[in-house]
Amino acid sequence: MTPLSLMLTLSSVLFALGLLAVLTRRNAILVLVGIELMLNAANLNFIAFWAFDSPTAHNAVEPALSGPMFVMFSIAIAAAEAAVGLAIILMVFRHTRSTDLNKLDSLHG
Amino acid sequence: MKKTFLDRHRAGCPDHVARASCPPPNQNQAFILPLAAATAEPSLFSPEFLPRLPQRLVEMILTNFGVPDWLVTIAGFLVAAGTVVAVFLSAFALLSLIERKTLARAQNRIGPNRAGWFGILQPVADGIKMLTKEDIVPAKAEKFLHLLAPILIVVPAILALGVIPYGREWTPVPLELGLVFFFAVGSLTELSVFMAGWASGSKFPMLGAMRAISQMVSYELPLIISALGVIMVSGTLSLPHIVDLQGGFQLGFIPSWNIFTPWGLFAGLLFYICSIAEANRCPFDLPEGESEIVAGHMTEYSGFKYALFFMGEYLGLLAIAGLFVTLFLGGWQAPLPGLGFVPTWFWFFGKLALVIFSYLWIRATYPRVRIDQLMRFAWLCMIPMALLTLPAAGIWHFTGRGLLSWVVVLPLMLVPWVIVAVIFNRRLATTTRTYRFADT
Amino acid sequence: MIPLLILAPLILLAAIGAVWMARPVHAALMLALTLALVAVLYLALGAEFIGLVQFAVYVGAVAVLIVFSLLITRRGDEAEEIERRPKSLITGLLCTVPVLAVLAYSAIFGSNIKLIPWEAKLTIAELGETLFSSHAPAVLALAVLLTAVMIGAALFAREPGKTPEDPAEK
Repeated sequence: MTPLSLMLTLSSVLFALGLLAVLTRRNAILVLVGIELMLNAANLNFIAFWAFDSPTAHNAVEPALSGPMFVMFSIAIAAAEAAVGLAIILMVFRHTRSTDLNKLDSLHG
Repeated sequence: MKKTFLDRHRAGCPDHVARASCPPPNQNQAFILPLAAATAEPSLFSPEFLPRLPQRLVEMILTNFGVPDWLVTIAGFLVAAGTVVAVFLSAFALLSLIERKTLARAQNRIGPNRAGWFGILQPVADGIKMLTKEDIVPAKAEKFLHLLAPILIVVPAILALGVIPYGREWTPVPLELGLVFFFAVGSLTELSVFMAGWASGSKFPMLGAMRAISQMVSYELPLIISALGVIMVSGTLSLPHIVDLQGGFQLGFIPSWNIFTPWGLFAGLLFYICSIAEANRCPFDLPEGESEIVAGHMTEYSGFKYALFFMGEYLGLLAIAGLFVTLFLGGWQAPLPGLGFVPTWFWFFGKLALVIFSYLWIRATYPRVRIDQLMRFAWLCMIPMALLTLPAAGIWHFTGRGLLSWVVVLPLMLVPWVIVAVIFNRRLATTTRTYRFADT
Repeated sequence: MIPLLILAPLILLAAIGAVWMARPVHAALMLALTLALVAVLYLALGAEFIGLVQFAVYVGAVAVLIVFSLLITRRGDEAEEIERRPKSLITGLLCTVPVLAVLAYSAIFGSNIKLIPWEAKLTIAELGETLFSSHAPAVLALAVLLTAVMIGAALFAREPGKTPEDPAEK
């Protein structure tokens, strides 16, 4: 298995674990933990392709920095999204005194 | 690629810096130098060479005994790291004594003077006391995290000490991204303060940890933004190069340090205040103030773990004071033109001693700031002022860095500063006091 | 390759801890560990700036934020164990395992492109120039986004009906 395959497998397993956390956790903040894991898996993918595959040899039109550039924006956006998500969870907590997602069913039929 | 600001830097140094004191960045060698290529080093027994002596001696002895090269490199690196740690641990011991003596003198009493001539053995006595104390861990505490937290507070401080240039061509690890490394490592401290507070399992440490984290996170922003001005003007993130670019003298006798520029004056002041807040020192030591919250996140610690917290705090203080000296006070550059014969590490440690003395002086003088005053100061006063230094630095650079720049930039910075300060003091500094975090 | 072989199992173990641990603060601390290990992996692969930024932003800010919110939303001194419900775990696995299978299959068997290894080096000067010349609109959009997020989160976190509190509650 090449290093690139190993890293892509690692990132896919991380993505699957993040997805599992989003689907199974009851605490809203732990769902956010899963989302962060998924974002990190995607970032790992970008860095994997940047590190193991020379961009100039494929007559790439983009500069050799596409991987790290995307990852930088992704990290910034992930931080912003975590902040907003946590602010929303705090607001919900103030209303219902609970972060349990199963209790937020007032729109349930 | 069109010629940019960075291209001029890569070609050499800016015109205002004397060429002799600004070598191109790739001459800053790490400790890991093969002995044969030591052409840029001073002679073996000059005082300039003194800090490198242990490593060079060990390398020479090991090479004489025929040890393979990679082992010599590793051994040399370990000796270099050990030198840095030894110097700063003894500085920490001395600092604890000097702090107590200075505070005492400021309070019109004599400090510790029983443990030796003028109390010089007091740190030894403190160390013995800390080591022989019983190590009490509360029953509700999380054992593993409770043990890990003090270690994780000391480790970032020691890591951060490794990238600061202590002398000409003497930085333990001259990273190209030294400044980002420093800030990244400093932000690890926040997580370990939380661990210390939460793992203790009781209310005072938890409250103290939450306050400490909010304080550290709030003051990290103006810290980094005021360092951004320096990065913009120097065009590099590498700390040895930032110090190199502060060589030379304006008007013959004023050093070209960053603090003697119109934006640097204000950015340096902001960095200084934020470094006091980051290190949890008075007047920002609410997280560990004894009359407020027992010992904050360190309440449930005793014996050597408490000594580790103490050590981590002081080493962090030394590291961030070292960064302040590096970024704004010219690092190891001499203050006057004729003093080239004095070894450069003497200037660095002299400036560091002055900055630390000023921290102690401020501790003895100012009362503690309340948590809401602290937060409002950071978010409503310091961040706008820090953001203002960025365009000021740009304007300073593009108006030629001379007298015209001073005339243009100084009012540009002073007027908003005075306005923000007046508005902040009159309308925003205090609020009704709510004990929000004690409601849980 | 060797750093990758050492770090990959550690990252997986830490991520499993983040997903599996019962107490929320433990899970959040395992997330911080995962993020720190991924940052070390970036450093080992030559993307030094990205690794340090990951450390400073994710471990130093996002993990602290998550942990802080967990502290604020605690419900007194009750036990924080969440009970396992096997039904939700099985449903989760049912949805996750196919995704994992597809991704892993394409990762291991799908790379038919010819890879040319190179000495991956991220020059900070190049990164800065590219970022602020050809990617400048993206940076400006990001700046607007972050400002909006900061203002929005501060407004959200204000207690309703009181005088404006300190904006430190993110």
